[in-house]
Amino acid sequence: MMSSKVINLTIDGKSCSGNAGDTILEVARKNGIYIPTMCYLTKTLPIASCRICSVKVEGVDGFILSCQEKAVDGAIIKTNDSELYQERQNIMKLYNVNHPLECGVCDQSGECDLQNKTMEFGLDGQTFTAQDMPRPVQNWGYVSYDPSLCIMCEKCVRVSTEITGDEALKVKFGGYSSTIENVKQEANYATLGEAAAVCPVGALVDTKFKYSTNAWELTKIPSSCPHCGVAHDVTYEVKNGKIYRTSNQAEFTTMCSASRYGFDFANEGVTKDEDAFKLAVEKFKSAKSIVFAKEISNEEAFMFQMLKEKMGVKLISPEARAYQKFMRAYSSITGKLLNSGTLEQLSKSQAIMVLGTRINDDAPLVKFHINMASKWHRARVAYLHPIVDNNIKNIVTQYISYAVGNEEAVTSSLVSYLLKDVDGIDIDVDLDAISSEDLELLRKSHIKKVGFSLVVSSDLYAHPQAQNIAKMIALVEKHTDINVVVIPPAGNAMGVSLICDLDDEVESPSIGYNAKGDFTLSSFGGGDLDVPALNQQEGTLTSMTKRVVPMNVAVEYGGYVLNDIMNALGFSAEYTIDYTKMLPNDKGFRAVEFDDLPDHFDMQGIEHRGYMLEEVEVKADGVVEKLGNNEKLNGAVVYNCNPQEHFSALTAQSKNLTSEASLVGSEAFAQEQGLADGDTVCYTIDGIKFERVFKIDTSMKGAVALNPTFDMGLSSALLSSYRFSQVDLKKVGS
Amino acid sequence: MSKLLFSTWRDEFIDNRGKPSQEWSESAFKLPQTYHGERDSKAFIGWDGVAIFDEDIDAVILATKYAAQYQEYSEACGRCAPGRWGGRILYDLLDKIARGEGSYNDVSHLKEIAQTMMVTSKCEIGKTVPKPILDLMEHYKEQFDECIDNQKQSKHYDGDISYIAKVTAPCTDMCPASVDIPAYIEGVRDMLFTDSLVATRKTMPLAHTCGRVCPHPCEDACRRANLDEPISIMELKRLGADYETDHEVPWLHPKEPKPLRNDGKKVAIIGAGPAGLTAAYYLALEGIACHIFEELPVNGGEVAVGVPEYRMPVNKYNKDIDLVLDMEAVTITNNCRVDAEKLKEIESEYDAVLLGFGARLSKTVRAKNENPDMGGYWGAISMLDKVNLWNKYGIGSPASNELKDKTVVCVGGGFTSMDVVRCSIREGAKKVIMLYRRDEKTIIRNTTYEEYHEAVEEGVEFIFHSSIEEIFDDGEKITKLKVNKFELVPDPNGGRPQLVKIEGADFEIECDYLIPAVSQSLDLQILPEEWNIEMTSWNSIKTNGRDYMTSRPGIFAAGDCEYGPMTIVNAVGQARRAASVISRYIYDGKCTLTDDEIMEDHLARLKVYNKNEKITGWMPGIPRQVSEKLGVDERKDNNREVNLGFTGEEAISEAERCMRCYYISMVAV
Repeated sequence: MMSSKVINLTIDGKSCSGNAGDTILEVARKNGIYIPTMCYLTKTLPIASCRICSVKVEGVDGFILSCQEKAVDGAIIKTNDSELYQERQNIMKLYNVNHPLECGVCDQSGECDLQNKTMEFGLDGQTFTAQDMPRPVQNWGYVSYDPSLCIMCEKCVRVSTEITGDEALKVKFGGYSSTIENVKQEANYATLGEAAAVCPVGALVDTKFKYSTNAWELTKIPSSCPHCGVAHDVTYEVKNGKIYRTSNQAEFTTMCSASRYGFDFANEGVTKDEDAFKLAVEKFKSAKSIVFAKEISNEEAFMFQMLKEKMGVKLISPEARAYQKFMRAYSSITGKLLNSGTLEQLSKSQAIMVLGTRINDDAPLVKFHINMASKWHRARVAYLHPIVDNNIKNIVTQYISYAVGNEEAVTSSLVSYLLKDVDGIDIDVDLDAISSEDLELLRKSHIKKVGFSLVVSSDLYAHPQAQNIAKMIALVEKHTDINVVVIPPAGNAMGVSLICDLDDEVESPSIGYNAKGDFTLSSFGGGDLDVPALNQQEGTLTSMTKRVVPMNVAVEYGGYVLNDIMNALGFSAEYTIDYTKMLPNDKGFRAVEFDDLPDHFDMQGIEHRGYMLEEVEVKADGVVEKLGNNEKLNGAVVYNCNPQEHFSALTAQSKNLTSEASLVGSEAFAQEQGLADGDTVCYTIDGIKFERVFKIDTSMKGAVALNPTFDMGLSSALLSSYRFSQVDLKKVGS
Repeated sequence: MSKLLFSTWRDEFIDNRGKPSQEWSESAFKLPQTYHGERDSKAFIGWDGVAIFDEDIDAVILATKYAAQYQEYSEACGRCAPGRWGGRILYDLLDKIARGEGSYNDVSHLKEIAQTMMVTSKCEIGKTVPKPILDLMEHYKEQFDECIDNQKQSKHYDGDISYIAKVTAPCTDMCPASVDIPAYIEGVRDMLFTDSLVATRKTMPLAHTCGRVCPHPCEDACRRANLDEPISIMELKRLGADYETDHEVPWLHPKEPKPLRNDGKKVAIIGAGPAGLTAAYYLALEGIACHIFEELPVNGGEVAVGVPEYRMPVNKYNKDIDLVLDMEAVTITNNCRVDAEKLKEIESEYDAVLLGFGARLSKTVRAKNENPDMGGYWGAISMLDKVNLWNKYGIGSPASNELKDKTVVCVGGGFTSMDVVRCSIREGAKKVIMLYRRDEKTIIRNTTYEEYHEAVEEGVEFIFHSSIEEIFDDGEKITKLKVNKFELVPDPNGGRPQLVKIEGADFEIECDYLIPAVSQSLDLQILPEEWNIEMTSWNSIKTNGRDYMTSRPGIFAAGDCEYGPMTIVNAVGQARRAASVISRYIYDGKCTLTDDEIMEDHLARLKVYNKNEKITGWMPGIPRQVSEKLGVDERKDNNREVNLGFTGEEAISEAERCMRCYYISMVAV
């Protein structure tokens, strides 16, 4: 681990301080000193291809690369003089060799680093030319690549390697004919959008956005992601009421693909339907329960909670409920309302264990952080799951497969291993749940490792023994310094679980809110009353990073909103965001006006968005129980799991996202169930009827098939059971 | 020493133009005046300057071709703005002048670009390519001017001169296996560990092994040492190999292995040690069938049965071995001792034979009453065989049966003796003493700093400046040793200091075991006497050190049997070259080298590393990373791997210190 010893140096005559291990550029930026760069990307390690950031260091001959070279205590540094300027200008001349003069139609024009630096270094023409060669434009699906615009800064390759870990982009060496190549073109990774986001020129662009508008005509609306649970920053870029694209602070942060491309989910063209509104108010008055999707704002959740408190209505949101119960059991051991793990710690870990989640699909941003740890710290990554996920073979160092349903026993075995050096822990352990060979391999991979993380998620939440699993995992947080990351279900499940006192059973008549009820309010269309989608309203979300962050209106909405119904029911708030400051203090929320929430990143990339939830202490009276009986699933077993770019019925609204939803299984699964690739099958889970095309994935092993749920519209939010289900598969049309 | 017309090589400036050739002065450097000893070179141009041997040289086209080589070879680079575009412009402008279309404006642009490349390029290739070009533009200005003034082609523009170029680096040049070190380090820096491994495997199939137990001669030629400390080159190698193993990546090859040739040609390889495995791998990559004959039931040769588990875990070495044995073209017979008769038989059945056996006879310490059959007298090789066969493969019985609670004296000073004493500790010996004729500094130079210090930590007692005069026994086993002490006496005439015995300083050591580990020799019974194979003065098989064919046509030798007991990396380098030669020999019956190999040998003679060069453009004082080791109590009673390797952070930090000292050189013939 890096020491945090303070070092002092002089840059351009100014006394500057930084930490040992900081590069010269980092110290300069911390101290507000500008050094030009073309290839530097704060969130990755230095790339060092542009050479523009060279500086002079007293007593050292030659120019020193400030992005890569560590600052040394006492160094005296000069960041600019006529010689440095001359070399930087020469490099810019080289960058401009044969660069097509097509800024008028280039997507990047107006926000192009090459344009900016060319101006900065006073160049008004192309000094040098070289014999050129044909460089055809390539369409890679979500993104397109124009090699003649590419300046080979390699930022995209670094993002693909270090951050997203799709490892699709590589440098194809060849001197002047070097290009970026996509070595996994057939996969069409939406995560390549993250690579395109850092392109300083117009070489890597979103295919659908290309040539659609000029960058400077777009209005930027800062907001937060409603999809993936991280509620990361997302800026909607809007013209004439239409979102053209989204962007983020790509220098520092990363987006999920749902936000990157699935921004077109607004409920458009809605006007005020007075009759429907009146009916809705009546239905609310007589409702015994409200069933709602977890993709709602904190304020909406708060309104429901107030309705419950006033009218005794039951609140039903199954995934949030399961998580809530899990976390309550967890808190009963740790004595703290929230788990303490952080994504930042995760990215610095040398040993990571992932349990009970198909992480690459469930929580892509968490997976990015595991990938960072893998790349930066050679983290040993153990992936404990019934299904081997070949998509993350590049970061996993040990797959530990266990039987479906065996999560409690596996947890006991893993926890007892992690607590082996802690005295006085006596829990019931199933010694056979993880084989002794697997445990020995795990132990070996942990020798001398510093910085452990344990990542758990939603396979555990709806497990029949969820509470006991939660308590065992909480012991790890309580008794070790292992970074325990409990990933909430996607959407705003964490906010809902903190704000609402949720119930288990629906009682009729029910109101559905983006979920099927006896009377349904929907932003997807097709409900009894329209409501705005999350990019059409102000409000806050609760991020899994424990941050409360603001959303703003990207697309206008002309219909009624939940607050109108609330007011008709006797509450009184001019705007939904009047409730922001009333979010429950006893759950860590702060009494801050929505309009006072900060929403920016500073020059060093430190996030100033909304506020962090306060730490709340709770009673630590939980006791770990004996292990329960594990019910074995037989026959056709399916696993509810969405593809990486989809999270819910909300993302299913997007036409930008590819959204094929098939039941995908291994050849073994097909054989066992007597299915052929392309067969249509139907089955029922939690009373919801699925009818899907079955596809064989030859890279999959085992007898469990993947069942997407995002495309089930108002039914998606009703799924409540354990993620693995034994189903009765019926072929359709045979 | 070579007479030449003109040279700016390194700090030399020679200009014999206008003088009769017999009056030409000589260069202090071993420049390739005759290419491969066959053809006269016209010029040699490279990172450090240009040397001209022929008065008829066309400097303009020489400069152009050199710039073109940069273009061609920038596949290895092309990763910084100045190098990528600058190199292209350099070539375009030079070619424009050479073909008679240039202007003086182009000359000034050339100089401007050259300057920027030299100051800001990422690697040395970009920094050094302009130097000889500028030299030519300065000292052969009239040729450039003539092309511009008369707008005509340079005199040999369409000539038939061949230009043979090679990219190297000081570390690569020093590495006996010519590993592309900057490339595998760059793979680590980029966190593209598969790229790193592929770069290593271009010339080195034993990446796990040489990422762990190589004595890394490359680090003595690391330019970073001119600035602060050398890069920890060896340890960075294992990251790629570990990645392949950890993530169960399908075997990564430097190129797609060619399908097995069905032309009846086949090669026999004697010994599945580093040399044999390496030769098999590179022959198999070419699709040439080869069969390995191995005496032991286990594969890997001396690295398997000699190098202890705590230094070289067998499951990692087995990965290197499996890489080779999984090749379609490779087959193997174990438990097959090849003797003279068998070798004759093999020779008659195969198109070529590579001898790759090791040096496995322990030499004696030459003391009075030395009897190798006496109880307690145990040759290092057979002792290590026993230890390793049991610990790694469960064959035989534990050596602790013999060594537990015993006093062990080892005589040595090299890696083998270190393995003996450290294994003795692990097998439970009560007391372990190493006797060495020279001093601490020399033992560190012969092995490594880490080896020596770890042995000391584990409790080995080192007695320097000592040797055994006499061995005492009770008729059944050794009981004690009489040891002489020496001191180093400086030579008053300034020569090497002499070891002189200190009178009256003799002492005795009581012991149970004496393990001589002074050196090993070859078991030559394998060679049919009637072949009269030529041997070196130190009794190893003689070759010319370039094509590795012995005095008997079709019989090649590489590794310890050729060189005498030496390093793994040496065996790998020799065997790869031998495989290359064999791949042609089996078709045309001739021993030929490729241009790349000829250039490799030329550069090795010239010496690429210049320890006096001043480094600019890098911050000095960034510390060399040291990987974590098991603590002494965690390791001394078991065989767990002592060196835990770099953490990701350490590895990247170390890789960022690498200055990518690639150079291009080119000969015009």
